[in-house]
Amino acid sequence: MVVTRRSTIGIAVVLALALGGERPGVEAQSASPIKVGFASAMTGPSAITGEGVKWAAQMLADEYNAKGGIMGRKIEISFGDNAGTPGEAVSAVRKLADVDRVDVIIGQTHSGACLGALPVVKELQVPMVIEACSNPKIRELIGKPVNEWAFRVNPDDVMLANQFAKHMSQSTKSVSIFAQNDDFGRGAAAAYDVAFKKYGIRLVSTEFFDRGQPDYRPVLTRVKRANPEAVLLVMLASEGSVFMRQFREIGLTQKLFARGSMATVEFLHQVRDNPSIADGLVEATYWTPALDPAWEKQWLDRWKVPVRVHGSLAAIAWRYAVAPAIEQAIKKTGRADRKSIRDALEELDVANTPVGRIRFDDTHQAFINMLLVEIRGGQLKILEKIAIQP
Amino acid sequence: MMRALRFTIATAFLIAVPWIVAATVPGQQRYVLHVLIFTALYGALALSYDLVVGHVGSLSLAHPAFFGIGAYTAALLATEARWPFAAALPAGIAMAGLVALAVGVPMFRLTEHSFAMGTLGFALVAQIVATNWVDFTRGPLCVTGIPKPQLGSLRIATLPGFYWTGLAAVGLVGLLYHGLTTFRLGRAFHAVRDNETLASAASIDPLKYRMLAFVIGGAVAGGVGTLYVSYVGVLCPGELAVSLSVNLLVMLFLGGVGSLRGVLVGSVAFTALPEILRMAPTWRMVIYGLLLLIIVIRAPDGLEGVIRRRSRA
Amino acid sequence: MSDLLEQLLHGLTLGSLYAMVATGLALMFGVVRLINFAHGEFYMLGGYAFWYAYAELGLPYPVAGLAAAAAMGVFGLAYERGVIRTILARTWHVQLIATLATSITLTNLAILVFGTQPKEVPTTLSSTIVDLGGVRMAWQRPLVLVAAVIIFAGLEWFVTRAKLGKAMRAMSQNREACAVVGVDVQRVALATFGLSAALAGGAAALVSPLFNIFPDVGALLTLKAFAAVIVGGFGYVKGAIAAAFLIGLAESLAAGYVSYAYKDAIAFVFMVAVLLVRPQGLFGRRIGI
Repeated sequence: MVVTRRSTIGIAVVLALALGGERPGVEAQSASPIKVGFASAMTGPSAITGEGVKWAAQMLADEYNAKGGIMGRKIEISFGDNAGTPGEAVSAVRKLADVDRVDVIIGQTHSGACLGALPVVKELQVPMVIEACSNPKIRELIGKPVNEWAFRVNPDDVMLANQFAKHMSQSTKSVSIFAQNDDFGRGAAAAYDVAFKKYGIRLVSTEFFDRGQPDYRPVLTRVKRANPEAVLLVMLASEGSVFMRQFREIGLTQKLFARGSMATVEFLHQVRDNPSIADGLVEATYWTPALDPAWEKQWLDRWKVPVRVHGSLAAIAWRYAVAPAIEQAIKKTGRADRKSIRDALEELDVANTPVGRIRFDDTHQAFINMLLVEIRGGQLKILEKIAIQP
Repeated sequence: MMRALRFTIATAFLIAVPWIVAATVPGQQRYVLHVLIFTALYGALALSYDLVVGHVGSLSLAHPAFFGIGAYTAALLATEARWPFAAALPAGIAMAGLVALAVGVPMFRLTEHSFAMGTLGFALVAQIVATNWVDFTRGPLCVTGIPKPQLGSLRIATLPGFYWTGLAAVGLVGLLYHGLTTFRLGRAFHAVRDNETLASAASIDPLKYRMLAFVIGGAVAGGVGTLYVSYVGVLCPGELAVSLSVNLLVMLFLGGVGSLRGVLVGSVAFTALPEILRMAPTWRMVIYGLLLLIIVIRAPDGLEGVIRRRSRA
Repeated sequence: MSDLLEQLLHGLTLGSLYAMVATGLALMFGVVRLINFAHGEFYMLGGYAFWYAYAELGLPYPVAGLAAAAAMGVFGLAYERGVIRTILARTWHVQLIATLATSITLTNLAILVFGTQPKEVPTTLSSTIVDLGGVRMAWQRPLVLVAAVIIFAGLEWFVTRAKLGKAMRAMSQNREACAVVGVDVQRVALATFGLSAALAGGAAALVSPLFNIFPDVGALLTLKAFAAVIVGGFGYVKGAIAAAFLIGLAESLAAGYVSYAYKDAIAFVFMVAVLLVRPQGLFGRRIGI
């Protein structure tokens, strides 16, 4: 390779540009803003989740800054795009940490990205609060002593399956699972396979479908033949609405259970031409707008669409874990830097949040409540609130 | 003499980058090094792709599959069978090369569009298998805990360490590329690319040379895949997405297909530039699409062609 | 037994969709020897046009459908004039990459304009169920099949009776001869693109009520349509149609009886197998559309 003087200068220029605006020196801590990074899939096949997270973050920043910030310090948000993959998650975390200089990260929404991000937050010593990653392996990879910088608010299906299977066993003896073909669906299917055995439910079949492939009829026909008493749907609202139309088109009448975002306003909005299409569906979740109607209204007013589930999950992590931790950190140490936020998260114990008690155990997992939400008459109804056992 | 001197200075400069970066941008050095590592890996990948696209003129869309096969081979051997990096890397290279051999033989019987579609079909099937053969590849639950490379007592676990590894990789691939595309072999490749009939008439067997480029390109892609997973530590089937071919094509055509410098410039532009410009990612893709369109129509030699024309004028 | 019937009927709906999209692709290749990698985006944009006309403007279904097809027809003309004309004389590499670049641009523009949330456009027909011999389906499905047949019949009439259509067929058989006898080659090329895009738009109006519309919907569709064009023999429209139905049926049966997760792999393996065993396509090398 012929490297001329010109190209050498070029490389130097490129490096210099890369740091455009780099201010050396230490910033004054007291009145400087608290920087929060939100990492999700802003591009790629799952970009819809990133959009929800982004909108939520913008709303939260405005909401908190309107109140004067936290302890008088404003919130400044930055975004990282992990495109749903571990490699890009590494880039997103490094950018948020080293370029945007965030004090805490909320993310990564998708398990592959979470897994890629974990070693990096440990290396860079930035606290990360996971809001939605569902791979059960994550529990082994966070907390003391493995990775003291990562925390997770949401439960995964291994944690939910027992309680949900118990509930299902009260009304059904055989179930077919329809799950999206990603970490969420695969993880859930594996967890319920185990849990069903415990509660005497026969797993008739498990079908996986790729998101964005909206022709479910061939496999619905197969399930019609297998004739389970109930179906467990592990899918998000955007696929679920198309699925339910075809479910009814084929004439299936099984009892409906769900994990994902089926019992949501998003779903009901998609099927507003036939709102009772999924009546009787019971979903095991940990969030529903009824827990915070003001949030739902705020969202609708601002974005003109029904509230998005991934936005709400990011909001939970912020509102009930990260923001209280920041406040606690400032109260205790006068600072909201990475270490003091991390320490505050470890000591956090917020008792009465709408989602339950927020307290991270030694594995840095919180145990918020499981909710059973039912769709009835085109409306959402909380059936039961169940505490999840560690 | 001057050339050798310039080359040595450039190499010294590149090797010294971690210190230069630490000195010039202390707060962001880790990020810059990370971007450079990805740039180096992408550069090596793009060079391996250019062997096939630029030098024998076969528009293959199978490259993501070879990258993925190398990645999965190394990842699974390292996590399941505890193979050390020194063994996993050649295994990844060999596996990708073997699959390229197996796939190439039938594929090269096809012409033009059919070849492109056939290789695309293969890449799609590879991704579907990686996603769904969960018992073997873990599917969307991903292969985790891929260890950092350990070569005897040398452990590559720091950013400068990975940077030098990436630099060595792109350097070696660049040397290989240079060796393959100059001298008689290079001329044979170009004969096959530019005028296949004439080449056969001159007893240059097009199939043999195409297969050579394809297998070597595929094997190198597998090697890059191995390095990539050793760096990231996690492997998910999404990394085999066909969109990688799109990214590689942008790199090749932006920089200058068929040219070492051009492809490297294209890789830098593609990987590093967005980090500098901080564009919203979706807008970035729109711009890439438009750039690729304009370049392939107006300036198919890419930036390299523009530079060459300037220096001649 | 009604199970098999049911799967076959799904396969026909799917096949109709693939056939309508593949026809446009085959026409373009037949007439101007160009592979349009952005063809799926014609379907995607047609879907959004239909959504806008039907759900936002509230036009009646047939009007909205025709509006979508017409809008895409115009888009196709603009596309030919703007992009295709500049690459017609270039190598197929350039053509492939240029149309691929267009595909990337259009998909991401759609994300920016319409957002990532899929749009659903249920119509009366897609919500009303009919029971045909024990198989329940929305009226929209037989509509898709019937409409597809009518469209193909219309197309056949067009290339055998209408002047422009005959010119298209002639051009696909021997372009130089056409130029010599005074056929306006550029105009025919333009019309071909308009027609192909309109077909994709019409397909979207017919099929979207059963599924949904999102920016990436064209990607897989382009590939399946390609598979059909290749299996049917490049540039042979009837072959593409037959192959598309074959692929739709194979996919449905595979999804129903073998594995739903691997169903796409089956279509592509089928395509690759045909490419290897019989590269001229199942129906042999034909001249012309």
